[in-house]
Amino acid sequence: MAFLRVTTAVLLVCAARLGAQTGKASEAQVKAVFLFNFAQFVDWPPAAFPDTETPLVIGILGADPFEGFLDQTVRGEQLRGRAFQVRRYRSVEEIKTCHILFISRPAGDRLDEITASLKNRPILTVGDDDGFAERGGMIRFVTDRSRIRLQINPQAAEAAHLTISSKLLRVAEVITPTGR
Amino acid sequence: MSLRDWPIKRKLTAILVVISGLVLLLTSAAFAGYQYWSLRQTTRDALSVRGRIIAANSTASLAFSNEADARELLSALRADPHIVAAVLYDKVGHVFAAYPADVAGNAVPAAPGPDGYRFERGRLIGFQPVEEAGSQRLGTLYLASDLEAVYDTLRLSVVIGLAVMGVALLAAYLLSMVLQGTISQPILALAETAKAVSTRQDYSVRAPKLGEDELGALTDAFNQMLGRIEDQKDELQRHAADLERRVETRTHELQERNESLRRNAAELLAANTELDAFAYSVSHDLRAPLRSIDGFSQVLLEDYAAQLDEAGRESLHRVRAASQRMGTLIDDLLKLARVTRAEMRTEDVDLSGMARDIASELQRAAPERQVEFAIAAGLKARGDARLLRVALDNLLRNSWKYTAKRPGARVEFASVDANGGQAFAIRDNGAGFDMKYADKLFGVFQRLHSAAEFEGTGVGLATVRRIINRHGGRIWAEGAVDQGATFYFTL
Repeated sequence: MAFLRVTTAVLLVCAARLGAQTGKASEAQVKAVFLFNFAQFVDWPPAAFPDTETPLVIGILGADPFEGFLDQTVRGEQLRGRAFQVRRYRSVEEIKTCHILFISRPAGDRLDEITASLKNRPILTVGDDDGFAERGGMIRFVTDRSRIRLQINPQAAEAAHLTISSKLLRVAEVITPTGR
Repeated sequence: MSLRDWPIKRKLTAILVVISGLVLLLTSAAFAGYQYWSLRQTTRDALSVRGRIIAANSTASLAFSNEADARELLSALRADPHIVAAVLYDKVGHVFAAYPADVAGNAVPAAPGPDGYRFERGRLIGFQPVEEAGSQRLGTLYLASDLEAVYDTLRLSVVIGLAVMGVALLAAYLLSMVLQGTISQPILALAETAKAVSTRQDYSVRAPKLGEDELGALTDAFNQMLGRIEDQKDELQRHAADLERRVETRTHELQERNESLRRNAAELLAANTELDAFAYSVSHDLRAPLRSIDGFSQVLLEDYAAQLDEAGRESLHRVRAASQRMGTLIDDLLKLARVTRAEMRTEDVDLSGMARDIASELQRAAPERQVEFAIAAGLKARGDARLLRVALDNLLRNSWKYTAKRPGARVEFASVDANGGQAFAIRDNGAGFDMKYADKLFGVFQRLHSAAEFEGTGVGLATVRRIINRHGGRIWAEGAVDQGATFYFTL
């Protein structure tokens, strides 16, 4: 575990250096870590984990923007005895067991469709589209002068029976959907 | 003044104050020590609790790289002025956020140290892991607190302790000043009484009793002792007075007796003088008619013998013998009277030589007798030579006379030891005497033998006694019938 941590640290340092040179790579890396960290601040309903062996699944719907950093980040990690798994989906229908879903830049109205089809399922939806949180997504990464900030729509999470830690809410911008 | 010589009051007070001071000091020291230790523990626990709270709150900030939030969290530490520095390190140990915002880079560790809270260089520091339960570590929180709170409290408690000690010591001093009296008062009273007794010899004083404790018992015993001494002293005084009275009485009696003795002596002296004068005059006056009797008897025998028959001549012979014998008696009496009246001339006298003279004189007078004289050489005395010669002559003549019927007669003159003093002894192996008549030996005209057995007038030993007495000596005799006699005299 210590070895892994050191490895991760080294990789992160390398990545940070890379990031300093290429901002995009750094952004992908930070987002991968954030995605992984969400697991610590969100509680899923018991039904989300059929048994104790069930891994915590982080899914990517659509193109993978993480350049392999996500796989690196979760490798060997555990949360309350549960392993992590990264799955990639091309369509919403493929999604069976999933706890955190990154929705990669879908085109136009596709987002509303996706959120509608995932509605009430205990899946934490994360994206970085403009207005993602206002349009039914739960957490949006906002890139602000090389920083990644968070926007959270707690109502959407609540509807999906997810409990978002107040600590997470504190470091994020809370979005209340309007006109829906 | 050494401690040993302090008055008991001061000793008691000092003991009480020193003991209470020591107890207070030890108690205060123990309390301060305990307080210091427990304050450190408390401070550490408090910092650890605070660290855990901040760490728990800062997980999201670290997880999602929200430095503003982290700084805001840390800035809440302003409420505690003792927190001198706080730092949040991220997962890889870089400084993520620091408090105070302007803290110097070298004032805080560049990288987190081992987890835990500890005292270092007068500060309490702690490294607290930042992590969500059951998941990987997100970073480390560093907190540094000065120990002013501990020292402030400690200073305060030292000041309070000193104040309490001061007040307590003062109270102990005042209390001991009051309470030491219960112990020192009876002792001082005893000492005062003892001093009064020893300086004034006054045994009538009594120590006041102030309680029923051991000191009370001591006071009682002391008072009893004084009482006994007083009684004994009174008794002694009574005895002394009694004795004095008795001595006075006796002295008085003795004086009276002396007076009467002196009177008696004077009377006796007068009587003796009168008697001696009488004896002398009588003896003297008796000689003239006696000479006439003897002379005319002789004339009758010589001139008228033819006219007298044998019986007449025989009667005249008897008259002459009797008158001559009476003459001897009168001579002896005159001698005795002279001994009494003669004046004493004290000189050194050679008794041995005197005895030898007398012995040869006796031998010459009766050459037919065989008497062995054993006279010790060098016997000397101080006295009247003439009187001592009379005494010695009488005694030796006495022995000579009473050994007349003894073959192998022997007379000794020697010096003997009598009751530690020197005495002279004249011993013979003659007729001796019965000791029951020993006191009659020296009386005038007292004779133990008839004139027919041994001639004599009964005046000789009386004369000897007078001479010895006039010399201030003593004479006595020992003997037994037919066993000889010994005459002792001292001078």
